[in-house]
Amino acid sequence: MLIAPASSKHVLADLREKIDTLEGAPRRFGRTISICDVVDAVLPGRGLPLGCIHEIKGNPANVIAFAGLLSTRIPRHGSVLFIEPNRTLFPLGLLPYGVDLTRWIHVRARKPKDLVWTVLEGLRCPQVTAVLAVIAKADLTFSRRLQLAAESSGATGFLFGNMASAITRWQVSPVSNFGWSLELLYCRGGRPGSWHVGWRNGQLIELSRAMQRELAAETALAG
Amino acid sequence: MSRRLLCLYLSDLPQEPTEQNRVKQRLIQWCNRYSPIVADDDAGGIVLDITGCAHLFGGEEALLNDIQTRIRAAGQRVRGAIADTLGAAWALARYSKQVIVIGSELPQALNPLPVEGLRLPEDVTRALRRVGLTSIGAFHKIGRQALVTRFGASTLLRLDQAFGQIEEAVTPYRQPAPYSIRRALPEPIAYTGAVEHVVAELVTELCLRLRKDHTGARRLNLECYRVDGAVSTCGVSTSKPVRSVKHLMRLFSEKIETIDAGFGIETLILSVLNFDRFDPAQLTLTHFDPDRNDNIEAFDELIDRIGMRLGFEHVSRLRIQQSFLPELALQFESVMAPVTPNAIWPEYRLRPVYWVDPPMRIEVATIHPAGSPVQFRMGRDARRIVKSEGPERLTPEWWRLESRVWQVRDYYRIEDDRGCRFWIFQEFYAAATLARRWFLRGHLP
Repeated sequence: MLIAPASSKHVLADLREKIDTLEGAPRRFGRTISICDVVDAVLPGRGLPLGCIHEIKGNPANVIAFAGLLSTRIPRHGSVLFIEPNRTLFPLGLLPYGVDLTRWIHVRARKPKDLVWTVLEGLRCPQVTAVLAVIAKADLTFSRRLQLAAESSGATGFLFGNMASAITRWQVSPVSNFGWSLELLYCRGGRPGSWHVGWRNGQLIELSRAMQRELAAETALAG
Repeated sequence: MSRRLLCLYLSDLPQEPTEQNRVKQRLIQWCNRYSPIVADDDAGGIVLDITGCAHLFGGEEALLNDIQTRIRAAGQRVRGAIADTLGAAWALARYSKQVIVIGSELPQALNPLPVEGLRLPEDVTRALRRVGLTSIGAFHKIGRQALVTRFGASTLLRLDQAFGQIEEAVTPYRQPAPYSIRRALPEPIAYTGAVEHVVAELVTELCLRLRKDHTGARRLNLECYRVDGAVSTCGVSTSKPVRSVKHLMRLFSEKIETIDAGFGIETLILSVLNFDRFDPAQLTLTHFDPDRNDNIEAFDELIDRIGMRLGFEHVSRLRIQQSFLPELALQFESVMAPVTPNAIWPEYRLRPVYWVDPPMRIEVATIHPAGSPVQFRMGRDARRIVKSEGPERLTPEWWRLESRVWQVRDYYRIEDDRGCRFWIFQEFYAAATLARRWFLRGHLP
């Protein structure tokens, strides 16, 4: 029997698929949400996978806004839990990102033990769309438990802190002119990347270098 | 059905008032295992309204024997009596050999008793004795009119109450629960699993009753009466009316572990302290049980469990209020509070996402001629401001007293040379002599 010569690309794609099946990844990456065209292109499922744990680090305001706007894109009817040890969230700032505050529940858990319990219970609930939580640190065992909880219910966790294990790991920091520098530090089955994005007219778009220069010039003139 | 009152006279209560009160309160709480209506009679005794309760203990005599034996076993002297009226039971407990007087026997039993049995003030009793009215029966010989003019209307009232001509209410030391289910166990239990099993039975029965009445529980209390006479209690609250067995059991199972069973629990009482109307939901093809809408309920249950662990004041909805002041515009409102509609927030008024509370003092060295800052310092961290937008001047609302601490605040949205965006304000006071101070209020995304 003659085997058709396969290009290296095909071989790689086949292998990836095989590994994904072994890891149970297709199910995991089955449902995704779009972040922004250029970013989606590098993510394995052509979007951010749901029902798993994402770690987001960086400037607290940007982190909350980024997670908040991602939570609005999840096509599931349910509530969003925001869990933090001290009240630092000011939800009015999230309104421009299309966040529906009536679906949000804010939980203040002062003790770290209570906080992780709440996050875990929240992720297990099938009526929860997303859990946004300020967790300082989570070890490998606990990260895995969170991941399993999210998989079991389909809820998505956006956790602000150092997770020992996560499906994707992001860093968001501010750049001038209301822009964000979005860095994908780690992505299971994908490659890291970095983009300059901005929230314009209800969309997250890539701010190309030219556009940035333009804006910078404008500012210089104005200043 | 006529009423049945049980009066207990505790003859050797401690003399010291606080100690006496403590002993009495404990006894009153314990007496709740016999009846939901228990009161302090303010004369060294306890009153129980046992209407419709006696059959649970094998009749009036058995109940009286049971309650007396148990109190005596605890080292307290007690004498009890049962009658159709509170006045009669009170008098019998203190002055009669006959302890159970029901129906037509009442006048016969009451008449020979001394006049002190009428619960009258001491001076009135003394006056009655002076004129020779030493027994209750003696009053029947005198006209009612004469009694009122000489000894006041209260004498007549007490007399009528004792004989049942006038109804007398018992004010329970606590409001009887709207729903209450009691289970006496043949053998005391101490094992958590067994307690949970009994509670599950009680909850199931309760939910049936709640469903019949189209109501749902908001606050429940479980009382466990122990063999050693102590009472362990635990409570459960919910953010919405609930009548699902599964939901309530999950809330209780976390609490049952904390119950101290001591040498065993012999009686459990589950009561609903607060309830709300809860109409059954429309049946759908996928949800056959009208009391369980899995989708909604799973979430309510989660909220209740978080609230029970952290306190419901820490689990809040976000409510936008009609105000431009950032401190008032957004309220964290406990999920226990009823849902109120949100005001509409004008989105062009950009607000921070990350809140700095209390506002952090910052030093502004240079100010642009237009009034906006050029450079500021947070502690040792100096930032050069590249862009600024503002001022957005917010003054306190004159009709709100609490917000009139400060006068005027000018808010600016600023961006520093590193791209970080802040929301800062400058505060003006009425006294112009005070330096204007700058504060950091929040971080913009």
